[in-house]
Amino acid sequence: MAKILVVDDSSTVRNEVVSYLKGKGYSVSEAVDGKDGLDKIKSDGELKLIISDVNMPNMDGLTMAEKVRSDLKNPGVNIIMLTTENSPAMKERGKAAGIKGWIVKPFNGDAIVGAVGKLVS
Amino acid sequence: MNLNLSIRSRITLLVAIAFLTSLAIGGYAVFKSNVNANKVQLVTDGVFKSALASADLVSKLRTVQIATMDMVSAPDKQMAEQAKAIIDTQRSEIFGDLAFQEQSATSETQKGLVRQAVESFNNYFDAISQTAQFKLAGDTDTAQALLFASVAQYQREMSSIVDTLRVEKNRSKDEAVQDMNEGMISAVTTISILTVLALAGLSILGWLLYRRVVQPIGRMQSMMTQIAESHDYSQRLPVEADDEIGRSTAAFNTMVNEIDKSSAMLQQKTNDMLALLQNMPQGVLAIEGDGRIHPEYSAYLETILQSGDISGRPFMEVVFSHASLSRDTLSQVEAAVGACLGEDEINFEFNSHLLTSEFEKQMADGSNKILDLNWSPITDAAGNIVRLLLCIRDVTELRKLAAEATAQKRELEMIGEILAVDAGKFHDFVVSTIKLIDEIDVLLHESLAPSQDVLAQLFRNMHTVKGNARTYGLRHLADLAHEAERSYEELRKPHPTLAWDHNALIDELNIVRAGVEHYARINEVSLGRKTGGASEHVGENYLLVDPVRIQEAIHYLERINTSNISELVAATEQVHKVLRLLGTERITQTLGEVFSSLPSLAAELGKVPPIVEIEDNGCFIKAEAGATLKNVCMHLARNAMDHGIESPDERSLAGKPLAGRIALTLEMSNERFIMALADDGRGLALNRIREAAVARGLLKADQPADDEFVAQLIFHSGFSTASKLTDISGRGVGMDAVKSFIERMGGTLAIVFSDAHEGAEFRQFKTVIELPGEYAVQVEGEELERIAFHAGHHEGEAESVPNQSFAPAAVREGAR
Repeated sequence: MAKILVVDDSSTVRNEVVSYLKGKGYSVSEAVDGKDGLDKIKSDGELKLIISDVNMPNMDGLTMAEKVRSDLKNPGVNIIMLTTENSPAMKERGKAAGIKGWIVKPFNGDAIVGAVGKLVS
Repeated sequence: MNLNLSIRSRITLLVAIAFLTSLAIGGYAVFKSNVNANKVQLVTDGVFKSALASADLVSKLRTVQIATMDMVSAPDKQMAEQAKAIIDTQRSEIFGDLAFQEQSATSETQKGLVRQAVESFNNYFDAISQTAQFKLAGDTDTAQALLFASVAQYQREMSSIVDTLRVEKNRSKDEAVQDMNEGMISAVTTISILTVLALAGLSILGWLLYRRVVQPIGRMQSMMTQIAESHDYSQRLPVEADDEIGRSTAAFNTMVNEIDKSSAMLQQKTNDMLALLQNMPQGVLAIEGDGRIHPEYSAYLETILQSGDISGRPFMEVVFSHASLSRDTLSQVEAAVGACLGEDEINFEFNSHLLTSEFEKQMADGSNKILDLNWSPITDAAGNIVRLLLCIRDVTELRKLAAEATAQKRELEMIGEILAVDAGKFHDFVVSTIKLIDEIDVLLHESLAPSQDVLAQLFRNMHTVKGNARTYGLRHLADLAHEAERSYEELRKPHPTLAWDHNALIDELNIVRAGVEHYARINEVSLGRKTGGASEHVGENYLLVDPVRIQEAIHYLERINTSNISELVAATEQVHKVLRLLGTERITQTLGEVFSSLPSLAAELGKVPPIVEIEDNGCFIKAEAGATLKNVCMHLARNAMDHGIESPDERSLAGKPLAGRIALTLEMSNERFIMALADDGRGLALNRIREAAVARGLLKADQPADDEFVAQLIFHSGFSTASKLTDISGRGVGMDAVKSFIERMGGTLAIVFSDAHEGAEFRQFKTVIELPGEYAVQVEGEELERIAFHAGHHEGEAESVPNQSFAPAAVREGAR
């Protein structure tokens, strides 16, 4: 099963997403902010998908995504952002960082699992 | 240029002409240069050589001269002979040269000069020979003399000839060189002119060819531009030649034709779609990447949203302004739409659950609408969502009907529940339940801070209400009581999760009370099972409801599709009809006894049983009015049989059928129920009424009174015209009593003349009973066929005829 990294400073959200994904048999790792996420992405080349919050301490999700593309030069991994809003500017940055999707909170676990299945297959 | 040559042939031809022209010019140049080369050869080999030779001749002559002088002055013979040898050598060379000169002489002058030179040389060399002979003979003096005399003379002569020859040769050499130069210049000029001409000719040919190729392409290009701008695909280019360009033009025309066809098809499809958008009874719009509404949306959207200002406006504003949705929900919708637009289609899956599917919106006119929303993404070839399609349906009516259907279903279920309970027991239940509720009410109002005892009492009472309701199967009431009971139970706990809220508890109790009252109302009003009144204990006689019909209606409501408005309308109408018909009966049922009594009555009076005609216009009689109407009609019918309808003899004399006719008409008008009864007898005996009234002192003998006034007199208490008291109509219950029955129900009774014979002894009339609308129900589609039946032939049958129809006993006259 594909490996997925969930990045969110809120353990509630993280646990929620993780339990949905684990329930479907995915191998899921967690990170508490963008910096932590970036370290984990660096050390794990087999990641297929990153689901990340936008607003986080230390490093926000968009910056992390940009670094994944520019520093790690990792084009193979899909990135999905968890968000509560999306301005055109955010979407622009996301597009440049190759972000595949935006999940607006409150999210629907089944929808996530269904779409993730398509993304990592 | 209208030769049918392909462009390829034309280009080949042009190249060939160019090749041939350059070949010709080149050939000419080669030829000319050959000629010039010959000339140069000639000049260098001939003219130059001979010019040089002539100069050489001069120097050789000088050598001979010196040698001659050396010879003459030589000190010894040997040296003289050496000099002589040089002279001989020079001599032979000079004659060789002269021979060449003669040969290469270009003019007679030169030839003459050469011959002169040869002659002169001969003389000269002869003189030298003589001188040499003398010298070699040792006669140096003679030799010297000879040298100075003849040799020197010849030498001078020679020198002058040779000089002349040399000059002449040089002149001829210059001429030859000039001639050669001129030839070269002319060749160069000719070649230049030819080249220029060839270039010009080729350029013209090339330009013509270019025009032939480029002009049609240019025309095609400009037409394409024109078509692109005007979208007029009817234009075609003329095909001028059967060459590549012609074929391209034809292909271009075919292409335009195809585009024309497909654009017509596209136009058709666009028109179809626009027509669809114009006519579909649904709001359809597309949200663009910037969150604004695409200018093409369905016309009905304006009806739904009550606004024409839609195109290009933000969808959040147009669709969701004044929506009964929280700010947070709205921001989620906006964010979800934002997350989809311009992004991969997977985002729709992620976020579609946030897109509201139904909400209530306050409209500009103050009304509220329930709108049903259906979202779908429109993606491009790359799978990115370019637009969101939003279908909006106004489901206000649908939801209202569905709610109505639910309420009807509840009502029907309640009816079914009530019907299963004996009327007396139900009455007792209602009374005891209200008492229990009243007790709770008092406790709630008195106790601001309840004790456990009070709470126990509350719980006990409500528990009893619930238990009783369950026992009788009154499910809806049991549910309501259960809710209230749970509240009391919670409050009794040591640590209740519920606070003692006085007003909330009273509200909750009132809901239970309303439930009980609702059941009671259905029982009394809809089912007509009023009980408890000692004087009018009608009990089960009033049970006019067919439980099967109720069950059918409930099943019908359970099966309907609540999203189909027409089905809902039909269902609620059908059920509404059933509900309205609850507690009603057909007039034939109400008056069954009246009709069945007519034959025996007729027999008593010696008359033929009458024919009764009924036109009910779909009017059903409420059970509570049935008894009064029956009594009133019984009286009116007896009057008709007694006073109205004549004896068979009288009728046959008057040319009437032996059987009299009694006509009964029912209708609803302005929420009043009107029932009219008439007979075809002799009419109202106005003279006899007048006489009776005078006799009773109601009218003075000479008092003028119109027919209407007289007719009213029959409503006076105790009024009777009967000459003898019959059993039939003169039993003391007069028209005054009948009138007061009707008036007690809030109605009126009147005599209305139906002919225009003012002042006649007898006048045709009808008795009109008017009652408040609540005593009857008019149901469309449930009309009795207008029937007439011969009461006498089917005695008693009217009573047993089922609710719906008189069919078995009816003599049908056919529908009007």
